[in-house]
Amino acid sequence: MLLFRGPHWDKGLSPEELQQAMNKVMAWFEALRKGDKVKASQPLGAQGRIISGRSDGMVSDGPFAESKEAVGGYLVLLADNLNEAVEIARSNPALRYGITVEVRPVLAECPILERHPELVERVKEQLWAVAAA
Amino acid sequence: MNTSTTKSDYLLLFRGNIWDKGLSPEQLQKVVSDWMAWFEGLKEQGKCTGGHPLEREGKLVSGKQGRNVADGPFAESKEAIGGYFYLQVADENEAIEIAKQCPGLEYGAVVEVRPVADVCSIKQRAEELSAGQLAGATA
Repeated sequence: MLLFRGPHWDKGLSPEELQQAMNKVMAWFEALRKGDKVKASQPLGAQGRIISGRSDGMVSDGPFAESKEAVGGYLVLLADNLNEAVEIARSNPALRYGITVEVRPVLAECPILERHPELVERVKEQLWAVAAA
Repeated sequence: MNTSTTKSDYLLLFRGNIWDKGLSPEQLQKVVSDWMAWFEGLKEQGKCTGGHPLEREGKLVSGKQGRNVADGPFAESKEAIGGYFYLQVADENEAIEIAKQCPGLEYGAVVEVRPVADVCSIKQRAEELSAGQLAGATA
């Protein structure tokens, strides 16, 4: 999964620069799509909510829209390995305007179970019990 | 009368990848089972179309032509994204109500609820600007 961080890279670009940059980004995306490398990809709306805390879950606005860390969109990539994913990430034309692309392998299995294989059977039993109830 | 059943898409991003540290085997077993049952239930109800955990370690690519490739995000981070659900729900409130059911909240996980956009806002702005220029040129 590629996470595009820093969604305000367009600030300060002239209309011509912005148009050029966007054409390059769209061409980059289209080439990946035609090469069957894209499983899913969407931009995210700037507004969002953060849920945290025990029991009832506190709701606050976030993430900060101006943050360089904020995730502006994602792309689930079909790549053979992390290296290929990184190379694809490196070819993103918006990098020169200051975005960061986070490259994260998608897992089939919960990482907590990977670290605690002794729990797998017990979790399965519990899930069966829930399903049967 | 408007009986539209158009659904909105939201992404839940689960933040914090160290909240499971220090939990007893029983607590771990419970939170993982609860989480899986939550996910399966949402899928059965048609409210969740997919989701995955992410491997802890990845790479951060930045700089012109991607010249900087660093390890990241930091493995021990409260901010790091540990996984996601893709939701198709009626509105933001429903997405928030679902996020509040996350079994990890009790242990310090944080859920970010983000609307999925149809169109990239920057692309939209670029198009508006160029349309404006065309209009200006032909005026």
